[in-house]
Amino acid sequence: MTAVVEAEGLTKFYGRRKGLEDLTLQIQPGEVFGYLGPNGAGKTTTIRLLLDVIRPTSGRATVLGADTRDTAVRARIGYLPGELALEGRDRAHDFLNFMADVRGGVSRGRIDELAERLDADLSIRMGQLSKGNKQKVGLIQAFMHEPELLILDEPTSGLDPLVQQEFLTMVREVRTAGRTVLMSSHVLAEVQNVADRVGIVRGGRLVAVEDVAALRERAVRHVEFHFDAPVPTEAFEGLPGVRDVVVTGASLRCTIDGRPDALIKAAAKFTVVHMVSSEPDLEEIFLTYYSEEAPRARVGA
Amino acid sequence: MPALVHKTLRDYRRSVIGWLIGISAFLSLYLSIYPSIRNNPEFYQQAALSKYPGPLKDLMGGLADIASGTGYLQTVVYQLLVPLLLIMFAMTLGTRAIAVPEEEGTLELTMTLPIDRRRLVLERWAAFALSLLAVALVTMVLVLALAAVGGLKVPAGNIVAAHAGLFLIALFFGTLALGLGAATGKRALALAVGGGYAVGGYVIETLGKSVDAISWLRWVSPFHYYLDGRPVFQGWPVGDYLVLLGATAVLAMTAMLAFERRDVGV
Repeated sequence: MTAVVEAEGLTKFYGRRKGLEDLTLQIQPGEVFGYLGPNGAGKTTTIRLLLDVIRPTSGRATVLGADTRDTAVRARIGYLPGELALEGRDRAHDFLNFMADVRGGVSRGRIDELAERLDADLSIRMGQLSKGNKQKVGLIQAFMHEPELLILDEPTSGLDPLVQQEFLTMVREVRTAGRTVLMSSHVLAEVQNVADRVGIVRGGRLVAVEDVAALRERAVRHVEFHFDAPVPTEAFEGLPGVRDVVVTGASLRCTIDGRPDALIKAAAKFTVVHMVSSEPDLEEIFLTYYSEEAPRARVGA
Repeated sequence: MPALVHKTLRDYRRSVIGWLIGISAFLSLYLSIYPSIRNNPEFYQQAALSKYPGPLKDLMGGLADIASGTGYLQTVVYQLLVPLLLIMFAMTLGTRAIAVPEEEGTLELTMTLPIDRRRLVLERWAAFALSLLAVALVTMVLVLALAAVGGLKVPAGNIVAAHAGLFLIALFFGTLALGLGAATGKRALALAVGGGYAVGGYVIETLGKSVDAISWLRWVSPFHYYLDGRPVFQGWPVGDYLVLLGATAVLAMTAMLAFERRDVGV
């Protein structure tokens, strides 16, 4: 299987300032890859290198099997810039028609269909679009030609929650169709529900690539049980993966790492009347990558 | 027509119309007062010469024969002010090809279209050249009409020749601004360097005629190839125009190669 995106030792220095160093990464067809890191970590640098807007200092990258310098391949990529600038007196639909003309492959009615889904007003002049509408126009142009690879730089910024949900649905559809998505974000929450894998960049280096399902399994989860009668603390102490056990009368609060199996079996000995389990907090794992230098050995997929 | 040329022309449309109105108003105003000068030639000739002493007179192109139709047309239209306006217009459009969209950030999306970089520069240049040509053609028709109505008695062929030169000198400086923008991505730099060369080139060409110390520099001034052949008086200076055209072609190719090599928008 040929990788859709393949980078080998990709490095970019802006003069003496490091943008990205020694990035080696493969993104497979049909995968949604979340590219995470704080602002200025090198996410946009990577994306601009893949699109040949900037040139690598060293290393190489291929996109859809072609060198990034290959112009023709760009018709098969949909791109949403992180700092999307749309100016001028053209109306949004004129601009989209122009983009569609140059790229080709946009079916009739596709633009209107996407505009309706995202609730975008395309009759507004480009220079007068609001932040949210601008982002919608950006998304439409990225999705409209049903590209084999979507590269989305901070796609959800400026979108209201309802539109964000619609956007995530669109990303899932793209994956279902077997096409590939690379999307960057500085918050995990934005990508954890759609991404198959996440790569974490910090200070210009890729510090980890993780499978989201595995990450979820390792994640910390806060759990609460309420029983019909008071329970002994000892029944829940020393269970594998269970921490911070606090029993107050008939209720139990604790934290679990990974699988909840042992805790559920222990709780099953009593009569459970109510149970609360928070969403696994991947952010906690994720923040450890941000705050400390993760070992290089974790890199690789 | 390639989609990018078409789109760029649409982007330039308002600017083209605005400058066209401005330059046409200027031409109409100045050419419509010629009949009063024609009726009083000695007075106006003296007034012009006493208003611009010595080197200033050279800067204005000598002012000889200003009361004749040909001299008047040369001084008022083709010597300084109209070239200045058209060059400003051309340089404004030239920077809008690459440097302005790069600074605004809109170039990034354009770059990710399946258009290679040389073609991008070439198509932007074509849109610029077509816009400039439109302004040149309309103003040429206007000058021809006003010259006929005002009784300037200048052969139409000479007006066409002079106007072709006007187009070529503006095309040269517009292409220079486009190229500087393509090479650096900086609008202010492109305008400053291009504008400096235009002003310097004009001064060298006009003053260089009487100041021997700088006369050898005249050949590097684009205005030398625009003014020296005196097309309003003598018709087509073909060789000079070919120099302008050739220099423009070199600049356009340099712009393509320079843009091909560099990082955009950083």
